[in-house]
Amino acid sequence: MLLESISTMEFIGTKLADFLTYTGFANVEWANIIMIAVGAFFIWLAIKKNFEPLLLIPIGLGIILGNIPFKTAGLEIGLYEDNSVLNIFYQGVRLGWYPPLVFLGIGAMTDFGALIANPKLMLIGAAAQFGIFGAYMIALAMGFEPNQAAGIAIIGGADGPTAIFLSSKLSPNLMGAIAVCAYSYMALVPVIQPSIMKLLTTKKQREIKMEPARAVSQTEKMLFPIVGLLITTFIVPSGLPLLGMLFFGNLLKESTKTTRLAKTAGNALNDIVVMLLGLTVGCSTQASEFLTLATVKIFALGAFAFIIATASGVIFVHVMNLFLPKNQQINPLIGNAGVSAVPMAARISQNEGLKADPHNYLLMHAMGPNVAGVIGSAVAAGVLLGFLS
Amino acid sequence: MRKLLSIVSFLIASSTAFAQGAHEFKINEVFVHYSCEQCDTVKCPSESYVDEYGEPASWIEIENSSYSTHDIRKCFLTIDPAVLDKNMSAPEREKHMSLISAGDPRTSLSAKQRITFFADGNTNRGTLHLNFTLPTDEPFTVYLFDGNAVDLIDSVRVEPMVAGSSYARIGDEWNVVPAEQVTPNAPNVSFKSNAVKEFKEKDPYGIAMTLMCMGVVFSCLVLLFVFFHIFGWAMNRAAKLARVRAIRAIHEKAAKMVEMAKQGTTETKGVEIETYAAVIGLALHEYFGGTHDLESGILTITQTPSTWSDKSHELREVPQVITQN
Repeated sequence: MLLESISTMEFIGTKLADFLTYTGFANVEWANIIMIAVGAFFIWLAIKKNFEPLLLIPIGLGIILGNIPFKTAGLEIGLYEDNSVLNIFYQGVRLGWYPPLVFLGIGAMTDFGALIANPKLMLIGAAAQFGIFGAYMIALAMGFEPNQAAGIAIIGGADGPTAIFLSSKLSPNLMGAIAVCAYSYMALVPVIQPSIMKLLTTKKQREIKMEPARAVSQTEKMLFPIVGLLITTFIVPSGLPLLGMLFFGNLLKESTKTTRLAKTAGNALNDIVVMLLGLTVGCSTQASEFLTLATVKIFALGAFAFIIATASGVIFVHVMNLFLPKNQQINPLIGNAGVSAVPMAARISQNEGLKADPHNYLLMHAMGPNVAGVIGSAVAAGVLLGFLS
Repeated sequence: MRKLLSIVSFLIASSTAFAQGAHEFKINEVFVHYSCEQCDTVKCPSESYVDEYGEPASWIEIENSSYSTHDIRKCFLTIDPAVLDKNMSAPEREKHMSLISAGDPRTSLSAKQRITFFADGNTNRGTLHLNFTLPTDEPFTVYLFDGNAVDLIDSVRVEPMVAGSSYARIGDEWNVVPAEQVTPNAPNVSFKSNAVKEFKEKDPYGIAMTLMCMGVVFSCLVLLFVFFHIFGWAMNRAAKLARVRAIRAIHEKAAKMVEMAKQGTTETKGVEIETYAAVIGLALHEYFGGTHDLESGILTITQTPSTWSDKSHELREVPQVITQN
């Protein structure tokens, strides 16, 4: 009896000791602690500072989740272990099918009316894409390979799903850092953009009042996704997954016959995908992959990309104004909205406009380049993919 | 009618699906095995790529050129030109060809995947063995036929080559490649690495990429701009015409009413005819631009001194502070 209880105690002791080797405490490294702190910081930013909480909370928790240390023992729990639940969720990022679903939701939520009413604003959306290629050149100069440089440069499009889509195809090893960087800077748009906008405009220019946009008929709104899809995908078929879903979502909205589908795409489906996308992207930033010199360079390049994109949008408006009659001048404050951080960038144009003149409402004007930026960045991603794959 | 349309649509869709099947297979590389006495190549591909029995043989590589999975089972391979006779029946053709048998998972090719068949004239050795051999001293043509033994999917004419080399499709062109570049079951050229390498070499600063990409982005958005600019103009024009027609109709009706009122043939319901004229006039004024969206933003009325604003004419007196002693 005594012998039996001794052997049972031994058994329990051995198993407990074995169990302890599996715990996070036994496997923790400094890198994990740092990354968990980064995740906690993201959550703090989202909750306390209200910086893109819908994205930063899933990403922040994902970073913590992905950096919980454990012993790899074939338990199928880690993000990179085949058949684990997280690995199954991660396939949407790795194979690039979350971003088109997000674009479906964006399309279903976006009103292209402001753009159709004043189509010349599309050109601002195109000009702001210079942020991507400016960053591409800098990335090449910093020693990145062309495919890596393209993956990093797309951060300048200020479009998280596009950044994930392109980097998953061209530079999958950098995707985690690129995605976190893209979303972080999107959250920091209100911090980055206003100073550049002020720097590149005079008070008089900031006070320019734009004529109200004309009313857009439903026929035009219905036609836009079809014509947009045909033109963009005939030129850049490699952008088909993103552009196809964007315009499909918009057609669901504007057709007026599929309101239920548009609501689902824009609300429930989009929310589900954003949750899974944010969480798995966060998870993919495991310390061993993330805490490298390349990540530091990516964050620096991301900041450059945002600055160049904002500046090129504003400067391009100045150029356009040289050719426009006085009564049709464009307020350069909407130039920043050429990046596709919808609707954050447009809201910044509005806020800065109101600061210059409390009666100048630029929101709807800024929505034009803002949604053009979504199309522009998807086209840019398609072109880069076409050239480099 | 609706049913007919559905059937037609279904048929069109089905035909597309069919066309994307076996027709996606391409002959990718052909290697002719020379006996070691004939071959003096230092690095002979025959030695590095042998069949399941460890024996070298000639081989034909087929590639699934699509980005979908397709199965090559039940297709036919041959070098016999007799199969080109259009009058030959399908069963007769099959006798001249080597059938790729079903039931082997290796024949299912995923996107861009390749499969290599040994032309050793011995099909008893397995699915990947063909019933013919490739001649070393004379030209021949390899034919790949669909499962019906009638539709030719692909063919390539191969001239006698130096021992150890192969005949490979690189891009859309066929080339004789030296022994060290013979790649059974692998891509003949890695396009991916080539594109990146090419950009790295030819465009180290990214200027060409920037110019090309910005050009494409601008082209897309400029085309959209042009289309919607013209379309918006046309829509505006149509709306303007409709408005002019409506105004003309109002004008005509107003004139008619005034005329009828003057003649006393219309019922004014006790309202003077000038009132009607004023209402119509106001409506037209509003329509022609009296209404507008751009407001001054000033909500207060600018005070102008007049007798009306004189303190002495105010209805309410300023309250007097009464102090009690």
